Amino acid sequence: MGNKALNNFLICGLIILIVSFFPLVSNNFSIRFGTDILMFAVMASAWNIIGGYTGYASFGNVVFFGIGAYITAILMEKAGLHFGIAYLAAGGAAALFAVLIGLPVLRLRGHYFAIATLGVAEAMKALVQNLDITEGNAGIYLPMLDLPVRHQYYFFFYMMLATLVLTLLVTYLLLNAKLGYSFIAVREDEDAANSVGINTTLSKTFAFALSGFFTGLAGSIYAYQQAFIQPGPAFTVQTTVQMIVMAVFGGMGKLFGPLLGALCIEMISETLSNYFLVAHTLFFGTVVILAIVFTPKGMIDLITQHKFGIAYLLQNIREHRI
Amino acid sequence: MLLQIVTNGILKGGLYALMAIGMSLIWGVMDIINIAHGSFIMLGAFTTYWLFAFFGVDPFISLIFSMSILFIFGYGVQKYLINYVIRANAFITLILAFGIEIFINNLALVSWTADVRKVEVSYGASNFSFGDMITIPTVRLLAFVLVIVISLVFFYLLNRTNLGRSIRATSQDLDAARLAGVDVARTYAVTFGLGVGAAGAAGTLWSILFPISPMMGGILTLKSFVVVIIGGLGSMLGPIIGGLALGVTEALGTNWFGSTYENLISFTILVLVLILRPKGILGGAT
Repeated sequence: MGNKALNNFLICGLIILIVSFFPLVSNNFSIRFGTDILMFAVMASAWNIIGGYTGYASFGNVVFFGIGAYITAILMEKAGLHFGIAYLAAGGAAALFAVLIGLPVLRLRGHYFAIATLGVAEAMKALVQNLDITEGNAGIYLPMLDLPVRHQYYFFFYMMLATLVLTLLVTYLLLNAKLGYSFIAVREDEDAANSVGINTTLSKTFAFALSGFFTGLAGSIYAYQQAFIQPGPAFTVQTTVQMIVMAVFGGMGKLFGPLLGALCIEMISETLSNYFLVAHTLFFGTVVILAIVFTPKGMIDLITQHKFGIAYLLQNIREHRI
Repeated sequence: MLLQIVTNGILKGGLYALMAIGMSLIWGVMDIINIAHGSFIMLGAFTTYWLFAFFGVDPFISLIFSMSILFIFGYGVQKYLINYVIRANAFITLILAFGIEIFINNLALVSWTADVRKVEVSYGASNFSFGDMITIPTVRLLAFVLVIVISLVFFYLLNRTNLGRSIRATSQDLDAARLAGVDVARTYAVTFGLGVGAAGAAGTLWSILFPISPMMGGILTLKSFVVVIIGGLGSMLGPIIGGLALGVTEALGTNWFGSTYENLISFTILVLVLILRPKGILGGAT
C-alpha cells in the first residue's frame, strides 16, 4: 500500500469518525434525515457497481430494495427471526434474485437491458401485490425495535452507516482486483473483453449480484425502520430514478460520486421542500434537467478538474450538441 | 363471450398502438428512450379535457388541436433541450427525459390538482351491435377508426414525403444525411414533435374512454415500452402488431386471472419477449 493510499484511508477513517458523532449532537429529525441520505448513498453506490463500472444501466434496481424489505418483513413477522438474520437473508435473497434474473437479462445490451430490468421490477411489484404471503396491497407490519425512541434513531443511523462503509469498502477492494478490472473492461468494450479471455458473463452477473446485495441490505434496514411496508412504495420506479439521478449527479463510475450525489440531491430537495411546499418536486425536475445538460460527468468531475465557471459548463454542451 | 373479449382487446390495443407509434419513432430515429412519453399523453388528454370543459369542443375535433399543440411543444423540447445533449451517452438523454417527466407531471399536478377527471360526451352511452355476439360502444369504435387513420397518415408521411425521407436518412446515417444537405437538428426536432404529437392524439382518445389525472403518465409510458418491445423497432407495422397483441393478451388474461393481474401479465410478456426475441416478434431470431 502506497503512501497516497494510506493517506486516503486515514482521511476516510476521519470522515467516518466525524459522521458517527453526528447523531450524538443532533435532534431526532436530523438523524432521520441523515439516515435517509446514507440509505440513498448505499443504493446509489450499489447502482454504481452495475451501472457506473460495468456499464449496464439497470432501471430496475428498486426490485432488490423491495425484495430486501419484504424478505425482512416476512422473516421477522411470520417466522419470528432476529433482525440480524433477516438483514443478511435480505441481502442474500436480493443477490440470488440478481443472479437468476441476470443470467438471461444481462445478455441484452443498452436500452434493452434498461427496459428489461424496469419490466422485472414492475412485474415483481404486481406479483407482490397478488401473493398471499406478502398480504397483497394491504402490506405487512413488522415488529417494532425494542429500544427507547432516541436509541432507535441511533440504531438505524449506525446500521445504515455501517452498510455504506461496507459497500464502499467492497467496491474499493474490487476495483483494485482482477474482477473489478473486468467490470470496467466489460463497460469499455464487451466483445474485446470476451476475446481476451475474460468471462464477461461471470463478471456481469457478479456485478449485478453485488449491486443487488447491497441494495437488499438497504431495503432490509428501511423496512425495519418503517415498521410497515406496502408493494407500492417498496417497488416504486421513483426509487430507481433517485438512485440513478444521484449516481449521475455525483459522477457515475467514480467511487465517491454516488455518495456525493446522494448528499447533494437530498440536501437540495430538502431545502426546496422547506421553501416550496407544493412545487418542490417541480424544482427537483428542473435541477435534474440542468445537471444533465451542464454537468453530465457529475460533481466529482467538476471538483477534481478544478474547472469552475461558465467555460466548463459550456464545454459539455459544445461536446454533445448536434 | 370470447369474441366480445377479443374485440375489446383489439379496440384497446389500437390505442396502445397509437401510444407506441410515437415512442417507436423517437426511439428508432434518435435512439432516445422517451421516459416522458406518458406525460405527453397526459398533456394531450388534458388539452382535450379543458377544450371540452370550457368551450364544449367535441373531443374528436379537439384531436387536431391536441396534436398540433403537442407537436409544437415536442419540437421546442427537442430543439432547445435534448439537441444539446443528443451526442452524449444514450443514457444521458434517458435521464434528461426523466427530468422532463418529473417537471411536466408536477407542473400539471400543481396547476390542475390530482383530481381524476373524465370527458363525458353526450353520445358516450350509445352502442354499436353486430348481431347478438358483439356490442361495441360507439366512442370506442370511432377511436379505433381514428387510430387507423392517424397511423396511415404517419405511414404516408414517413414513406412518401421528403420530410419522411430526411427522417429516415438521418436515422440511418447522421453524418451522411448531413453531407447530403439534411438539416439534422431540425429533422430531429420535427421527429420528436411528430412522436409527441402522436402521444397527444393518444391522450385525446384516452380521455374519451378512461378517466384522466396528472399522474396517469407513468403506467402509460411502461405500456408503450411493452408494445414497442413486442413489435420491435424499425417499422410502422411493429407498434400496431405489438399494440393489438398486448390489448388482446391483456383482455384474455384479465378475463382468466382477474384484473389485478393485468400489469403482471404485461410486464411478464415484456421480459419474456426481451429475453426470447429481443428484436420483437416481427424481427428475426437472434
